[in-house]
Amino acid sequence: MAEALLQVEDLKKYFPIRRGVFQRTVGHVRAVDGISFTVQKGETLGVVGESGCGKSTMGRSILRLIEPTSGVVNFEGRNIVRLRKGQMQAMRRQMQLVFQDPYASLNPRFSIAQTLMEPMIIHNLYGSREERLDRVRRLLERVGLDADYARRYPHEFSGGQRQRIGIARALAVDPKLIILDEPVAALDVSVQSQVLNLLEDLQEELGLTYIFIAHDLSVVRHISDRILVLYLGRMMELVEAEELFADPLHPYTQALLSAVPVPDPDAKRERIILQGDLPSPANPPSGCPFHTRCPVAKPVCRERAPQWKEIKPKHYVACHAYA
Amino acid sequence: MGNILEVENLNIQFRLDEKYYTAVQDVSFSIREGETLGLVGESGCGKSVTSLSIMRLLQPPTQISGQIRYKGKNLLDLPEKQMRSIRGNEISMIFQEPMTSLNPVHRIGTQISESLILHKDLSGKQARQETIRLLQSVGIPRPEQIVDEFPHQLSGGMRQRVMIAIAMACKPQLLIADEPTTALDVTIQAQILDLMRKVARENRTSILLITHDLGVVAEMCDRVAVMYAGRIVEEGPVRQIFRNPQHPYTQGLLASLPKVDGPRTRLQPIEGNVPSLKNMPQGCRFAPRCRRAMDVCRQRDADFHLVEDAHRVRCWLHAE
Repeated sequence: MAEALLQVEDLKKYFPIRRGVFQRTVGHVRAVDGISFTVQKGETLGVVGESGCGKSTMGRSILRLIEPTSGVVNFEGRNIVRLRKGQMQAMRRQMQLVFQDPYASLNPRFSIAQTLMEPMIIHNLYGSREERLDRVRRLLERVGLDADYARRYPHEFSGGQRQRIGIARALAVDPKLIILDEPVAALDVSVQSQVLNLLEDLQEELGLTYIFIAHDLSVVRHISDRILVLYLGRMMELVEAEELFADPLHPYTQALLSAVPVPDPDAKRERIILQGDLPSPANPPSGCPFHTRCPVAKPVCRERAPQWKEIKPKHYVACHAYA
Repeated sequence: MGNILEVENLNIQFRLDEKYYTAVQDVSFSIREGETLGLVGESGCGKSVTSLSIMRLLQPPTQISGQIRYKGKNLLDLPEKQMRSIRGNEISMIFQEPMTSLNPVHRIGTQISESLILHKDLSGKQARQETIRLLQSVGIPRPEQIVDEFPHQLSGGMRQRVMIAIAMACKPQLLIADEPTTALDVTIQAQILDLMRKVARENRTSILLITHDLGVVAEMCDRVAVMYAGRIVEEGPVRQIFRNPQHPYTQGLLASLPKVDGPRTRLQPIEGNVPSLKNMPQGCRFAPRCRRAMDVCRQRDADFHLVEDAHRVRCWLHAE
């Protein structure tokens, strides 16, 4: 277990803002601004944050679906940022992505069999069409669908079933790492728990490693071993899942957790209501990006970004309150 | 305290491919003055259509029957002209999408003052002053400037505040909020829910809150009606619904939620999928997914049975 599968070091992704006739670069959107973490084999790392915090951009940069601006991504000890196109293509067999919108992420003109066989063909797996079809049937059964669904088309399925197909597609090439980008956000409550259970079963059986990106904190707590909290492209806090909820240290994490409505009419909680909106990542505040909304901000927070520090064993926080 | 709204035996049918399908069947509920009623359910359960029918925003060929009584008047019988004096004035609505429900080519101020000029007979100048006051009351900074800006210049949370300002402009007696915070981040959701509670209390407005989020229900509502596949399956005071749910669907929904505290145990999902409008099962519509379904459930739908005071459930398990 204590073996690192993925190491991310100082990952950055800046998108240029271009203006004028000559499309001059006038600034950058700092979507991901210096993120570092390690994911162990078989672990689930949850990544939470609000819109614009860079969680999806981070996931796509790790897979190089968008090229990171700088940083290192070591997968089993190899820096994949340096790989050439062909090498990277082969590497992608090890790392797959499951998308949020089960309606937009399946090609409506492909049958389920075609959808699931495409990655096998690209990576040249299984010699014949018969072997691939056989694999498709086994994959469908593995994700809890009828093997005969292979001949059907996406429009015949519900959201939950489509998400199962999306998971089957990721599994088709036997990956080691799956990045799940809001995999249950679009699903109904009663179906969401079916998919979460499926993900847990698959992880146990196949020894998969997950990066689970989501905005729903109770879902992330349920599925993750550790949780990383992001705000405006920067890391705020990283710690084991239950510890994050029991003892959140960063003021942003505290406010975020207190804002979650709990399905219990008798729950008495002190709510920290943050004032104001999320600042734009194109023009992030100086120093600590959270200082504009932080209830305990000090002058130093405006001037310098806080350091990433281990405050308690395996509990990392970036906040001047703990300096 | 009297009932401000009484919905009785509401049926709504959609026409699809030359055939009529029942999207809402025999729905009855009432809302008291100053009360917040939550209408909960998953996609396609008919909760939004129900709210649109109260505002009379459904057009033929959709068929509506039953009664929707607002202060004793059946809204379904009112001529359009009278309905117009109620809509946006006595009953107003907030939608889920603050991006699409504001008109992008009109200034914020114009959109708020429109209903003030129409319903309250204010002059342009008075309406502008009232608009600025409203913007301030919903927590918008620099209201004197924002009043002349366009929707695209505001963030999602600010746009939802503007929507609330429009909805509250004429101090309505009933506010229908259809998933008002679903498109927002949690820290912004907390601000908006807080604001809705505040303005409702100040104006003694009743709220019909439509949502799929049981957390939001627990926090906002006095009473809850749970809908499944076009019918209300359980209704009661919020504490009883959460503490002592009786319908297997309500029980299943609550059990399937991941928790923010306590030990992490395996989730208990409801197996199967929500039925589609064209393939509604016979009898109780939840029967195919219900672990405790009996033969009778597959043949006939149950009637309501009283569990406790004001807590009723539509389930055969409760029939004597």
